[in-house]
Amino acid sequence: MANDLPFINPTAGRSKAKVALAARPIDLAGKVLGLLDNTKEQADIILETVADALRERHGVARVVMRRKEAWSKPATDELMDEMAREVQVAVAALGG
Amino acid sequence: MGETALAVAVDEFEFFLEQEWSDGLPVVTPTEERVQRMLQGTRRDPQEVIGRIPPAMETATVRDAAIHALMAGCKPEYLPVVLGGIKLMLREELNLNAVQGTMGSAAPLMIVNGPYASKIGLHGGRGCFGPGFRANASIGRAIRLMLLNLGGGITELGSSTVFSSPLRYTACLAENMEQSPWESLAVSRGYSPDDNVITCAMVDPPKFCFDDASREPEPLLTGIADSMSTIGSLNVLVPRCPMVVVMGPLHATICAKAGMSRVDVHRRLSEMAGRKVRELKTGGVWRPERAQKINVDMNDEEHFVPGIKDPRDLQLVVAGGIGPISAVCHGWGGGSLVVHGTYDV
Repeated sequence: MANDLPFINPTAGRSKAKVALAARPIDLAGKVLGLLDNTKEQADIILETVADALRERHGVARVVMRRKEAWSKPATDELMDEMAREVQVAVAALGG
Repeated sequence: MGETALAVAVDEFEFFLEQEWSDGLPVVTPTEERVQRMLQGTRRDPQEVIGRIPPAMETATVRDAAIHALMAGCKPEYLPVVLGGIKLMLREELNLNAVQGTMGSAAPLMIVNGPYASKIGLHGGRGCFGPGFRANASIGRAIRLMLLNLGGGITELGSSTVFSSPLRYTACLAENMEQSPWESLAVSRGYSPDDNVITCAMVDPPKFCFDDASREPEPLLTGIADSMSTIGSLNVLVPRCPMVVVMGPLHATICAKAGMSRVDVHRRLSEMAGRKVRELKTGGVWRPERAQKINVDMNDEEHFVPGIKDPRDLQLVVAGGIGPISAVCHGWGGGSLVVHGTYDV
């Protein structure tokens, strides 16, 4: 588009790579659930409550809970890789 | 409408606003000729990569910085400050990614010291936070446009800010070295007076402290320190939090005449700013989990919790015009450290 305009598109030439979303499971029965605590106050309480509900109502088999180093920083690659390996569904705490 | 037809029919000022390539105000239309002129402001290769701007992580080159500097209204000689500023803001400890996304409103305030700032007319005197000074206005705006267009820090997209702030249009100033009784902020850190230095802190807009009564430092600094630790601000109850205190030259001179150096005032403000536990418990952002994170026993009513927990978090500068006013800019409490460094001219 930029070439047809008499001026420069300041966002031109950017990578438009799309990352495919992981396949969504149809149900949670027998699945391993990952919970990512972002370290904000009481995130762990909320996540554990969510886990209990998903276990009771949807048959989640096992829960893996992990904690980020700091809520304002991204999770480390190691942590993300571990979650990707171990769980089929993940819930991340956001905000506080 | 075909693209060629669009090119013919378009009003470029409207087009940039419709595309959301702007901060809501018209921009200087970037044409190739104008960008080439802007690039005269640096010897650096236009294709040189400065870094990737979070959260969208688009790559910014020298040419991209020039395009945005142009759009913001910069002169070519401002470009080195824009390039130095955006590079500094990508340092991990500033945590730009989190500030772009936060519910808070902090903006990267640039405090520019050294001879080049004076040469290009960066203003640190009367009215330095406000309109009317092209270098201040356009350098800060160039940074913001990059944070929007390349970083995606757009409200409701990459940013969950509740209020945002006027400092998110532009936030760049110099110190008032003509009327400051002290060495510059950069020199106080060990830089040479000949170094061109940018300091950047993530802060909210200034809260002004009026004091035309104090003739001695102690009551004057008491008033300023109170603004530095108001109940409801996060700094008292988080481990680290940046803060910028801008003393007007009159207030700074009261301290200097009483024999206080910049270091003395910095130390005294750090000692005074804070709250006792019993005050913190009355309201605001107090909660037990926060007290725990900073190892404060909330039953120890008389325990004093400092607003400045590490001296490196407080930036004391002298700017503004002559008058009985200083300014306090509270910083972002989510984990952002102040960054500083020289830039090439």
